[in-house]
Amino acid sequence: MKTIDVQPQPLLGFARTLRIALSGVKYRLFRALVTVAVITVAMAFLMNILAESLIKMTVAATAKDQIAEMRLVDRWIARLSIPPTTAEIIASAARAGEPAELENLRTLGQLDDTELARLQELAAAADTYLTFFNDLNYGRRRVLVGSAESTAIFDRLQDPATRETFFARLAEMKTVRFVTETDTFDAWLNDWPVLRAYTERIREGQAAAIRTVQDNLNGRTLMQSLRAAEGPFGEVIRDAGFNLSPAEAEHLSAKVGAVADTALIEAAMNQADIRQAIAARLDILPGDVTPSRLWSLLGDREHAAWYIGVMNEKGFAASGWQPDDVIALADSRARAQLLKQAERATMETGGGLMGIGQRMTWLAFVSMLVCAVGIANAMLMSVTERFREIATLKCLGALDGFIMTVFLIEASILGLVGGIAGTVMGLVIALLRMLGLFRGLLLESIPLAALVSASLLSIVIGVLLAAISAVYPSLRAARLAPMEAMRIE
Amino acid sequence: MSHQPSTIDHPPFAAGERRVIIRSVGMKKIYQRGAETTHALRGVDVEIYTGEFISVMGPSGSGKSTFFNMIGALDSPSEGRVFIDEVDVAQLTAEELAFLRCRKIGYIFQSYNLIQYMTALENVTTPMAFGGVTPDEARKRGMELLDLVGLKTRWFHRPIEMSGGQQQRVAIARALANNPSILLCDEPTANLDHKTGDEILTILQKLNRERGVTIICATHDHRMMNMCDRLMWIRDGAIERIARRDEVEVQLASIE
Repeated sequence: MKTIDVQPQPLLGFARTLRIALSGVKYRLFRALVTVAVITVAMAFLMNILAESLIKMTVAATAKDQIAEMRLVDRWIARLSIPPTTAEIIASAARAGEPAELENLRTLGQLDDTELARLQELAAAADTYLTFFNDLNYGRRRVLVGSAESTAIFDRLQDPATRETFFARLAEMKTVRFVTETDTFDAWLNDWPVLRAYTERIREGQAAAIRTVQDNLNGRTLMQSLRAAEGPFGEVIRDAGFNLSPAEAEHLSAKVGAVADTALIEAAMNQADIRQAIAARLDILPGDVTPSRLWSLLGDREHAAWYIGVMNEKGFAASGWQPDDVIALADSRARAQLLKQAERATMETGGGLMGIGQRMTWLAFVSMLVCAVGIANAMLMSVTERFREIATLKCLGALDGFIMTVFLIEASILGLVGGIAGTVMGLVIALLRMLGLFRGLLLESIPLAALVSASLLSIVIGVLLAAISAVYPSLRAARLAPMEAMRIE
Repeated sequence: MSHQPSTIDHPPFAAGERRVIIRSVGMKKIYQRGAETTHALRGVDVEIYTGEFISVMGPSGSGKSTFFNMIGALDSPSEGRVFIDEVDVAQLTAEELAFLRCRKIGYIFQSYNLIQYMTALENVTTPMAFGGVTPDEARKRGMELLDLVGLKTRWFHRPIEMSGGQQQRVAIARALANNPSILLCDEPTANLDHKTGDEILTILQKLNRERGVTIICATHDHRMMNMCDRLMWIRDGAIERIARRDEVEVQLASIE
């Protein structure tokens, strides 16, 4: 009897396996391209929303500070006209991000250091409680605190009987989790009159200060007066008890000046003669002259000089203006428009994967799933189509592992190609779209590192998606009986 | 070296010394499809010797294919045993089975089954790659084998660029890649015209005579019957008859 010399078959090296898989892909290029297209579309979708969200987040962060500065005038007008509500005072004390704002509260309410610290502490707690009640749905809030809203809730809960009912009902609501321990809230409610007293003091202080400022307007509007904020009117504001630093005053007066000049230029545009002149210069109908058309015209030095002349001629007080001033106004207006647009466009960013939002994350997940099904289907078809080839390879001594590897490599190659193509496509589309939306703002704040990692992530997802979807088809191929090779079609 | 040719210098059948290379004992195969039970093989006992050229005949549905799968180590019997080179096929692991298919047996199919995206040479060297032969050595041996089947100049052609006869010759070269002791042919000439069929048969006969390769051939081709050592008829999952050629020569003559 012959000695048994049968040994385990070695597994083919990876390089050879890769070569065989590659030539298989090349042979079925059209089929492979269709699968690649599926992956490309899915990955382009993913990359597009990732890139847009990343860009939006960065732009939003850049725009935020600039917008705050842009609103300087609005803020001061409001501050000098209407005393704030209790909730507003609590919010600004709880934020306390800017020392100037805190200083304002101190002077207006005539608080000492301990009182100020106490105000901050109590306001911070009040802020969290207010957020809790605001986020509560209507029915639950109705049950807990009746029709009370905002700080009126705290007033209502000062009554011992009401407060007892409140805590009892809160305990009954199993699904509602209160933000702090109920005992903490109870103790804080006892302190609420203190906080309230502080806010009253601040409000009264501010109301008095507003009266002082209004009395010193001397028949001019607040806007007109603010133009002199760096000079005597700034003194008036400071004396009334507002915290206005000389630097801020200077800034404020410049901004107010710009606002007034802008208004003057636009007012001049509405005059019939001037409008016709502009229309003639733009070669459009007078009815089509809009502020944005005018401002884009004024970005040019020659036109700006002409417009200043026209304004002087028609009695608009533009004497002493230089074309550069007007160009600067046009630029800052364009910038403001851009920032406003950026703010609107980025309003809903944040949350979910890379800030794409919960809903988009879900949508992206579903699209990945659809893509996975598509790849699995294509790979299954590929396996079915190659039954005889696979079985023949097994007759020639291929191991199950080899067959499996070939199919997994094939899918991964498709995933890699599709992933790269999709990522590039999604990125380009995102950049073009964002460029249209944010223009110059985009170039200032392009999140390069984040975009690179998002691209890598999306390529990796593409490859993994394809490989994972191909696991079942590959298993089927690997398990195929070699005797299928004998079958004749 | 296990895959060294054990039969290449082996004296041919007629020389007297012969060894059993494939043996089946009570080989049965039952397919269960739902409630329906099919007895594809009902207990086959057969011994095939080294260097033998045996033709297997039988109508479709006779169990011929099942018989082929069993003795070719492509499927395992429901009952009974199959020994290839005295190794019980049922005892082998998946890796050992692959080893056996790679080096002990060469398969030739009715529809050639060449890998479409590989050249003739690549088709021939693929089993060598599975067998662990280095690429250089494989290329050298591949060219020798292509020379043997008369296709040396067409080594770079893909199956689609070749005629049926040429494809089948490449398939034969591929089957010989690792110097197998056994060639299992499933109607190798069925898809070919008379002349190319002759060429294939000549090559097979040459292999059998000169290299002493055991050839088991399912066929309906009468020319094949003229060159084989033994003939075997399968009917209804059992061996109907096994006869030496000289025993049936008379009948063949009467048919022709």
